[in-house]
Amino acid sequence: MTDYRALLEALSKEGVRYIVVGGAAATAHGSARLTLDLDLVYQRSAENIARLARALEGASPYLRGAPPGLPFHWDEPTIRRGLNFTLTTAWGALDLLGEITGGGSFEDLLLHTVTLNVHGIECPCLSLEWLIRVKRAAGRPKDLEAIAELEALLDEQESR
Amino acid sequence: MIAIRVDNKGRPQFEPDPVIEAYKKDIDRTLLRENLKLTVEQRFDQLMALQRFAEELRRAGQAARRKR
Repeated sequence: MTDYRALLEALSKEGVRYIVVGGAAATAHGSARLTLDLDLVYQRSAENIARLARALEGASPYLRGAPPGLPFHWDEPTIRRGLNFTLTTAWGALDLLGEITGGGSFEDLLLHTVTLNVHGIECPCLSLEWLIRVKRAAGRPKDLEAIAELEALLDEQESR
Repeated sequence: MIAIRVDNKGRPQFEPDPVIEAYKKDIDRTLLRENLKLTVEQRFDQLMALQRFAEELRRAGQAARRKR
C-alpha cells in the first residue's frame, strides 16, 4: 500500500516543490479507479534536488523492479544525473518525474494546478483539464479508459 | 508537444475522440457522483482502503493457488 500521507508529509517537511499528477491526481478529482503509486513532477532546481534528496533519505528509495544490490544511492548527484525515477520506498511506490509528455516541466505545469489540502498538507495538483491533456498526449492505450473517466468527471463537475 | 486548443481561461478544449467516447459509454457515473460528494482527504483514504483490500485479495489468491 502507498502511504500518501507519509510521503506528502516527508516532502512537505523539507519544502520540496512538486505537483501531484497521474492516478493520485485523478483520485483527488474524484476518479474511482485504483492506482498503486504516487506520481509527482518535481522542480529541477539545485535547491529542490537537495530538498528531495533529504526528504526521502529515511525511506530507503530504490529503483522499482531492479535487482537488489545495485549501487544505487538516493542523493543529489543521482537525482541530477537522472530525470525520471520510478522508486519503491518505505512508504510505497513513488514516481518522480522531471517532465511529462504533453505538459513539460514543473514550471510549465504550475500555472495549471489546483491546491489540495490533504491531512493539513497543502500541495499543488494538476487540474482535471490538464490531467486529461497530458494523458491524451501520452497516447498510451492503457490510458484510454482512464481518459474517458476523467472526461466524464469533467462533464459531471461542469453540470453541478 | 501536441496541439490542443485552449480557451480564454487557459483550459484545454478537447476534440471528441471516437475511441474515448466509446469507452465513456461504459463509465459508471454513479461511482463518480458518490466520489464527488467526498472531500479530497476522504478520496485518498478510500483509495488506501482499496489498495489494502487489493493486497489482501492478492494474498488470498496466492494462498488458494498454493493449496491446489
